[in-house]
Amino acid sequence: MSSMNMAVRSLTRRKTRTILSISGIIVGVTMILVLLSLSSGTSASTTNLLRSAVTAQITVTNSSTPTLGGLGGFTRPSGGNFGSGGFSGGNFNFTRGGTSGGFASFFGASDTIPQSDSNTIEGLSGVYAVSPQLSASGYVDNSSVLLYGINPSSFSQATTGLSISNGTMITTTGQIVLNNVIADNLGVTVGDTVVLSNNTLSTTNTGANYTVVGIFNAGSTFGPESRSAYIELSDVQSITNKTGVVTEIDVKTTNPSLVHKVVSEIESSLSGVTASTGSSVASEVSLSASLAIFFIVIGGVALLAGGFGVTNTMIMSINERTREIGTLRAIGAQKSQVLRIFFSESLLIGALGAAAGAILGIIISLILPYFSSSISSSGAFGGLLGGRLATSLVASNILLSMGLGVLVGVLAGIYPALRASRMKPEEALRYVQ
Amino acid sequence: MSSELVQVTDLERNYKRGKFKIAALNAIDLTVKKGEIVGIVGPSGSGKTTLLNVIGGLGKPTGGHIAVDGEDLSELADKDLTHFRLHKVGFIFQFYNLISTLSAIENVEVPMTLAGVPKPEREKRARELLAIVGMEQRMNHLPSQLSGGEQQRVAVARALANRPPIILGDEPTGDLDSKSAKKLMELIRNLRKDTKTTFILVTHDPIVVEGCDRVYSIRDGKITKEFTQTDINHFKMSQGKDSLEELLV
Ligand SMILES: Nc1ncnc2c1ncn2[C@@H]1O[C@H](COP(=O)(O)OP(=O)(O)OP(=O)(O)O)[C@@H](O)[C@H]1O
Ligand SMILES: [Mg+2]
Repeated sequence: MSSMNMAVRSLTRRKTRTILSISGIIVGVTMILVLLSLSSGTSASTTNLLRSAVTAQITVTNSSTPTLGGLGGFTRPSGGNFGSGGFSGGNFNFTRGGTSGGFASFFGASDTIPQSDSNTIEGLSGVYAVSPQLSASGYVDNSSVLLYGINPSSFSQATTGLSISNGTMITTTGQIVLNNVIADNLGVTVGDTVVLSNNTLSTTNTGANYTVVGIFNAGSTFGPESRSAYIELSDVQSITNKTGVVTEIDVKTTNPSLVHKVVSEIESSLSGVTASTGSSVASEVSLSASLAIFFIVIGGVALLAGGFGVTNTMIMSINERTREIGTLRAIGAQKSQVLRIFFSESLLIGALGAAAGAILGIIISLILPYFSSSISSSGAFGGLLGGRLATSLVASNILLSMGLGVLVGVLAGIYPALRASRMKPEEALRYVQ
Repeated sequence: MSSELVQVTDLERNYKRGKFKIAALNAIDLTVKKGEIVGIVGPSGSGKTTLLNVIGGLGKPTGGHIAVDGEDLSELADKDLTHFRLHKVGFIFQFYNLISTLSAIENVEVPMTLAGVPKPEREKRARELLAIVGMEQRMNHLPSQLSGGEQQRVAVARALANRPPIILGDEPTGDLDSKSAKKLMELIRNLRKDTKTTFILVTHDPIVVEGCDRVYSIRDGKITKEFTQTDINHFKMSQGKDSLEELLV
């Protein structure tokens, strides 16, 4: 405790030098804390942003159903995500299916999974939305189509939805949304009634009437998607006599970084299913991860510089105090006692710097969002973060940045303190400035 | 217990500088009794500081024997030598060497702090010691706020802190004017009278020499002459005060 007292004296009576070496730690800790707050704030806001902008990240299918195309594969039109590669799974099935009107065999080849699986998935942590879907071939006004049975509310949560050009999305049974290509071919529009059936119409198969509530654009006039229609899940189930089953379940996570964890949880809690992810997931995760790494690196470099500053001023101070150290050793201070005195000094510098840096960092983190509107629109971050700088003060971040500050002070003091304790007293006493 | 507090026999100390060996001390024999004030004089580079350091446990001899207060210093490990310095010797330096960031009283407390003396006790003793050296009025001043003579008196108080049997001074008046030097020497003689503390003082200063009971003169690492107080007084009577320098060189 007395070595601490001597350290306190030494620091308080050499104020300029002390402030100089503390300021290095303050800058480092402040930067780390502000950057961590920015990183937390940003990942919170980007997570929200990405969640609404991005389609489901996980597709759960029967494990015997080929999923070569992954997420982009044969799911549904989700805005611009409609890559040509996405249809390889569909094409594969299509050619394999062969003869009787392609689509029928295409869907016939898809094995189903229990609809109740979606309840199980909903119960998993990190799951944001779950959309079960049953796809099948069918006929609208005797024209062959792909029927997608979905649950309107979960579909809109788990996916980016359809780009409806006319009318609205379906809300209940008996309603249908048609692709614009089919609608044009059939000459139907919003408000018209169409006849839906599982096969060509005949005297025994008269089908059922559906009201066209909306027309959507698939973005492509070729491929299976250009011949698709959306109706209520239960409608497809009753038309195809497949009650209680679905062909796929689309899952969106609360945070892109959780995708892989959720995938393995799905596969371990359900049997006979495959959970696959698309390539877009990887880029989402790496965006927020690289942003965080970028922030940490800047802060780390600042703190490292602060640490070198402390080492530097400590060494200078020790060289200046060579005779003092020699005197201490001469009058009976053990090496360990000298070590403790100088180590206490750097510990104090680290602790004071950490405390002051944390206070400054908290203040800046709190006021930064108010200034961000003026700087973010022009800065590089502005574009990256969608025009806003969000900060979020987290207790663990404050503790982490303070801990790093103290750690740097301690590490920076090791070498100077060792150097002081190893001075030979006889030579240190001869030393003249 | 013998009355010899310091017993040096055939002492030798070499410094190695690359290929060269500098014999700083060579075949030194000396004894100092308890309560004596002994001077060491000699030209620059003759080995005075080296001898004082060996006696004070700061430097180890490369040959011969040295015993202080019954302890054979050549046999002590580094840690024990430090412990020896803390309890058995006090140091006074030419440039006082007070810790610049500590006040007078805090400086006097340092050796007691290192020895683990509790705060109230060491504060009480530090006050007493500062009173003895006449510095109690200035106890809260920093070294930079004190004159050289005042700083040296604080240093004497610090040297006395752990009640060592012996105090070693390397040119204690070297940086002082003659008035302060006289005052310091008076203090040293009073301390010897009151506490039986032994002093060994390396010096060039006639004021110090006059206050010594005995003086060793060394040259090139060897003791060449030894004077008693009677010799000094006799010399002073016959030659006049100014020529004391001649005796020393
Ligand atoms: N660390 C060292 N390395 C090498 N040589 C040394 C060392 N310390 C002292 N010496 C040499 O030992 C000899 C005695 O030195 P010392 O300091 O004891 O002399 P001194 O009598 O105290 O001189 P001064 O009156 O100038 O203080 C000198 O020749 C000096 O150069
Ligand atoms: Mg000397």
